[in-house]
Amino acid sequence: MQEPITEQPQPETQSAPSRNSEGRELLALLIGVAGWAVPGLGHALQKMWGRALAVFLAVGALVTLGAGMRGNLFTSRGDDAFATLGYFADLGSGSFYALARTFESDGPDVSHSTGDYGTRFLATAGVLNLLAALHAYEAARGRKA
Amino acid sequence: MLLFALIISLAFGTLGRRRPAERLKYAAWSFFLFLLVGITIGWLMYPFSR
Repeated sequence: MQEPITEQPQPETQSAPSRNSEGRELLALLIGVAGWAVPGLGHALQKMWGRALAVFLAVGALVTLGAGMRGNLFTSRGDDAFATLGYFADLGSGSFYALARTFESDGPDVSHSTGDYGTRFLATAGVLNLLAALHAYEAARGRKA
Repeated sequence: MLLFALIISLAFGTLGRRRPAERLKYAAWSFFLFLLVGITIGWLMYPFSR
């Protein structure tokens, strides 16, 4: 006797809200990366103009002052763990890291206290920009920001 | 130190709060704390500086 042909249940495809959520997550990630690459861009893309301007000016001022003071911009070829940590902190300022390298045509000079202060300014600019990019990412995900 | 504290405080205030009055208050408070902590640590290190 032949078995009746029954319709096999199809595996459930992703529901619309799930796809929407994934899309939003991807967009938030892109906004976070944009905020890292260009300080303030993550907030500007979300029309948070005041915050975008504040981040851009704060990171820009810190990088300009740090490079002007001939602070040390760490490279990927660090000698020890602190140099590597410093590199990651400096890299946090995104495209401004490359700009700071251009400003510092004479190289760093940490033999004076101003150079040492400049190193801190550059590292702070990177860490501040990372914080701002994370803030933009969280805001894009819909978290209270 | 003043410049550093001012820039960071303004950025913190702008990122951390929504309303302008709250932002200003938060920025002023963090600026004051930056200075207080910086000067306090400076004086604490002073006896060991020589």
